[in-house]
Amino acid sequence: MRRGNLPFKHKFELLPEGGAHVIGKMIKLFKVKEKQREIAENANGRAPVRKQSAGELRLHKDISELNLPKTTTISFPNGKDDLMTFEVTIRPDEGYYLMGVFVFTFQVSPMYPHDAPKVKCKTKVYHPNIDLEGNVCLNILREDWKPVLNINTVIYGLHHLFTEPNYEDPLNHDAAAVLRDNPKQFETNVKRAISGGYVGSLFFQKCVQH
Amino acid sequence: MAELTDSRSRSRDLDKLLLRPGNIVGKLFEPGPELRDDLREYARVLVVGAGGLGCELLKDFALSGFQKLEVIDMDRIEVTNLNRQFLFRLQDVGKPKAEVAAMRVMERINGVEIVPHFCRIEDKEDDFYSKFSLIALGLDSIEARSYINRVACSFLEYDSEGNPFEETVKPMVDGGTEGFKGHARVILPGTTPCFECTIWLFPPQVKFPLCTLAETPRTAAHCIEYAHLIKWGEMHSGKAFDADEPEHMQWVYTEALKRAELFGIPGVTYSFTQGVVKNIIPAIASTNAIISAACTLEALKILTGCSKTLSNYMTYNGLEGLHTKATEFVKDKDCLICGSGVLLEMDTSITLQKILLPYPCFTNSAQFMNLLGEDPMVLLSKPTSVVYMGNNLYKMVPPVLEEMTRSNLSLRLFDLMDKVSMGVVHVTGTAIKNDKKNSSLWKIRVVFKGMVDGVIDMDLAGGA
Amino acid sequence: MAEPRTKYDRQLRIWGDQGQAALEKASICLLNCGPTGSESLKNLVLGGVGSITVVDGSKVEEGDLGNNFMLDESSLGQSKAKCVCAFLQELNDAVKAKFVEESPEALIEMNSSFFSDFTLVISTQLVETSMLKLDGICRQANVMLICARSYGLTGLVRISLKEHNVIESKPDHFLDDLRLNRPWPELKMFAESIDINTPDPAVHKHIPYVVILLKLAEEWASSYSGCSPSTREEKKEFKDLLKSRMTAFDENNYKEAIDASFKISTPQGINSNLRQIIDDISAEVDSSSSDFWVMVAALKEFIANEGEGEAPLEGSIPDMTSSTEYYINLQKIYQAKAEADFLAVEQRVRNILKRIGREPAVITKTSIRNFCRNARKLTVCRYRLIEEEFNSPILLELQKYLNDEDYSYAIGFYILLRAVDRFAANYNRFPGLFDGHLQIPNILSYRGMDEDISRLKTIALGILGDLGCNSSTLTEDLINEMCRFGGAELHTVAAIIGGIVSQEVIKLITKQFVPMSGTFIFNGIDHKSQLLAL
Repeated sequence: MRRGNLPFKHKFELLPEGGAHVIGKMIKLFKVKEKQREIAENANGRAPVRKQSAGELRLHKDISELNLPKTTTISFPNGKDDLMTFEVTIRPDEGYYLMGVFVFTFQVSPMYPHDAPKVKCKTKVYHPNIDLEGNVCLNILREDWKPVLNINTVIYGLHHLFTEPNYEDPLNHDAAAVLRDNPKQFETNVKRAISGGYVGSLFFQKCVQH
Repeated sequence: MAELTDSRSRSRDLDKLLLRPGNIVGKLFEPGPELRDDLREYARVLVVGAGGLGCELLKDFALSGFQKLEVIDMDRIEVTNLNRQFLFRLQDVGKPKAEVAAMRVMERINGVEIVPHFCRIEDKEDDFYSKFSLIALGLDSIEARSYINRVACSFLEYDSEGNPFEETVKPMVDGGTEGFKGHARVILPGTTPCFECTIWLFPPQVKFPLCTLAETPRTAAHCIEYAHLIKWGEMHSGKAFDADEPEHMQWVYTEALKRAELFGIPGVTYSFTQGVVKNIIPAIASTNAIISAACTLEALKILTGCSKTLSNYMTYNGLEGLHTKATEFVKDKDCLICGSGVLLEMDTSITLQKILLPYPCFTNSAQFMNLLGEDPMVLLSKPTSVVYMGNNLYKMVPPVLEEMTRSNLSLRLFDLMDKVSMGVVHVTGTAIKNDKKNSSLWKIRVVFKGMVDGVIDMDLAGGA
Repeated sequence: MAEPRTKYDRQLRIWGDQGQAALEKASICLLNCGPTGSESLKNLVLGGVGSITVVDGSKVEEGDLGNNFMLDESSLGQSKAKCVCAFLQELNDAVKAKFVEESPEALIEMNSSFFSDFTLVISTQLVETSMLKLDGICRQANVMLICARSYGLTGLVRISLKEHNVIESKPDHFLDDLRLNRPWPELKMFAESIDINTPDPAVHKHIPYVVILLKLAEEWASSYSGCSPSTREEKKEFKDLLKSRMTAFDENNYKEAIDASFKISTPQGINSNLRQIIDDISAEVDSSSSDFWVMVAALKEFIANEGEGEAPLEGSIPDMTSSTEYYINLQKIYQAKAEADFLAVEQRVRNILKRIGREPAVITKTSIRNFCRNARKLTVCRYRLIEEEFNSPILLELQKYLNDEDYSYAIGFYILLRAVDRFAANYNRFPGLFDGHLQIPNILSYRGMDEDISRLKTIALGILGDLGCNSSTLTEDLINEMCRFGGAELHTVAAIIGGIVSQEVIKLITKQFVPMSGTFIFNGIDHKSQLLAL
């Protein structure tokens, strides 16, 4: 392709090695530019660039590569052009939480994947590793997050919490104690919570699949 | 012609560097009074941040021959700034940093104009950033650095050989400090690594497991984070925690203290609580002075060529003795922010559908093969999504997005890209590299055939 | 009003109340208040140093306004010391700011007792002869000295004092002292009280790694005739043993144990740095010994007796995966041992004080406790007189620098910074500085410049020759640059040098962190600055 196809550019001789061609000439360039300010550089033809963060771009890749378990769906409440906030719905097909529907909100920052996505459980749930405010104790969301991980890994991690809740790292202390000491009772409590009702003095909203 | 100044001149010292030829200088260094005058008249520098580094940067630039400066900062002055942000006094507390800093420097140094901008960096249009010869970053957040880097790199354009067009290069100098340590770096987009190429240099913030906070606290920090991240939400249904609200901080402190007493954990103080919750990075005047001056010196060298430049990352550590080191990092040629991406010439009639077919039109075209000729081992075989400036033109998965974007398939890419002559799209898909399939994300610079030359002609006609 | 504390919040987080108190007690004298000196003081005044005295005999000229922020239009023609002092005062009214309008050279010549009242003297832009004289004066008066110079794109910083002792060196990375290679009875008992084979998974994953390592090290030793893993293979085997005891993949305590497994076989006894300190001649104390050396003497006795070859235990443990209860108990066990060690050291300090005829209570408990806590990190810094360095540099080092490409600019500048002073002594001006002359732009064709270059070269080669070195590394380019600089004091270079000076002053005054050693040569060309240990 000919260089001539790129618009508006003065043709400078480029020196091969790094940066040397720029340094020391900069000020001259700006002098030239200043004088030509009226010949608008960004006139017609060029797109105004809405800068996508590396995080946003990486998220696009993650979303395009999603390979969700059958029990899981994803939705984008802000429409197709805002992927940075989305919701993941998990409908466990086995275990204590069978028949339940649990919604998680994902908030992804422009610093993704340097920073982990922020995930909260929107559905109030009786679960040893999820507290009543929706905080989730999942190692890859905090201490073990690494940029090589992705949204898919996180969703699988969440999914895992419903098939294998664990009482060793509790966030809901009471639920963990019941799971440890009396799994039958735990099962009953979960069922009660999912179908809408009280566990002890705590009320849970119904969240059953239709 | 005589050297215009003598020892009585204000630029007595700087003139030695700018007016005299040297042996260890930039290739295109042209010493002389004109260089000094051009620096005053044409170099426009934006200082991002008017805090510890920003105050120093403004002073340093103003005393290094620059006369057109602007500064942007959204913060107001706080008492805790006064141990290092030397342009501020106690009576300035509460005033916008950018405005006070600009005023103080202009008061003391004749001929310097500083335009303050009391706002967020995101509030400014691209045009604002494009007018500067150089951007100096005095920031303490990687988010803000990443943002400015993104803006600066968005001006960058490459020729067909993948070399940056030099007048699209927006150089940056960037500083950062923590206690006795700091770094200064030079970013020439397209040549040296950009901020995103080396983001791994910034270690991730330490985050405690929530279950540790809830169940097995061991340290004062655990108690504080429990109060901050868990207890606050429990007790204040829905009200967001605000670290700048003293009452909120006091609440967290009190709760943390209660918890620490419950478990027999020592060390919770109000000051430590603030430190943990706000992630306070200790800061002192001397380190800021060293780092800012190093950045300014490099800026002067980049713009004038009066000496070699730092290549490209300098660290300073005064913690144990004194260690400095210059490291030459290399840029990531596949960087999504500063990388050249793949240049692709296309007909305006091509629909999105055609691009997304398993073997899209351009893989068959000699043109495309040719474009990838630099690296014949790379082939994008199965595009699954196309994004243009944050707009999803098409996403094959997940189904919910496929449904929302399907109608675009029959549209012309040219129309979907608002009929621009050229623009950048990002395409995800499977790439074949060295016979291996990898999913990847591609930056593709699309140029529409027949559009560009026409525009050039128009432009030339207008300019003539 | 809590303003002062709040104002210093960001630095109190580094050096604490004690460091700040030391800073607020210090009195600093600055010689010459060009940008290098002014910038050094600016950073110290902001940090709340006790008092400053600015010494400068010159009047403010137009050129000074171009590189010094402390001066403005209204300063022209006035005493530079007075103007700089006034601006510095504006930065922090808690600081006592004074000025003396006199040339530092004259003070050095005529009034050497002037310097003895200060905690520390910062000399900037002094030429060699005055600097050497001042160094002698300060050394005599036991006043700390920092010499700084900005010169074009280069500069130097050099500390000069007899001895500086650091107890709180606060290194960035320092291996914790858990004594896993040598557990004491209480620690062993604690480990024994815990069943690491507990069937309860929640308990199993919350046993601190200290306990896991102690128990499995013992198990290992029982099958390896009492030894700990020493060879590479054995260490790997030990790690495999640890791994085999995990009951779930997510047991972080076991992961931590594997990462820390080397701690059970680290060599016993003190490190070589501490060995050197306790073997120092100063550790043989008498009534004139400083508190530091009295404590070192006590430490030495402790190591030889109660310590059984080890330094006192620090007592703090890093955070580790554990139940709260185990962790707190473990913490108490370490603290108890540290307290016992401290008491033993304290007793020895008191006895030594008595022995050397000093009041036994003169060193506070707090100081001794702090000393014990940092015993493994003690640092002693000694600096030669600058004159000694100039007359008899360490030739081995010098040769190394001259032959090492990484040092070529630094060693070149080191020689040339001395050479320009000799040039100035001969010609009454710096090379390339043609005062009052109008100069043609192409200065290399200017005869005066060429002449200066060749003169400077001769002088520099002379210095190298005197040191018995050949001159191949001293490039023409560097000599030319040095003449091009013409003695310029650029603001940015001054701010860097000044910033380094203030960092070092803070370290010296707070007695925290380790100050630089050797001569720091700033290289503003490509920032490959170096410390030269000559």
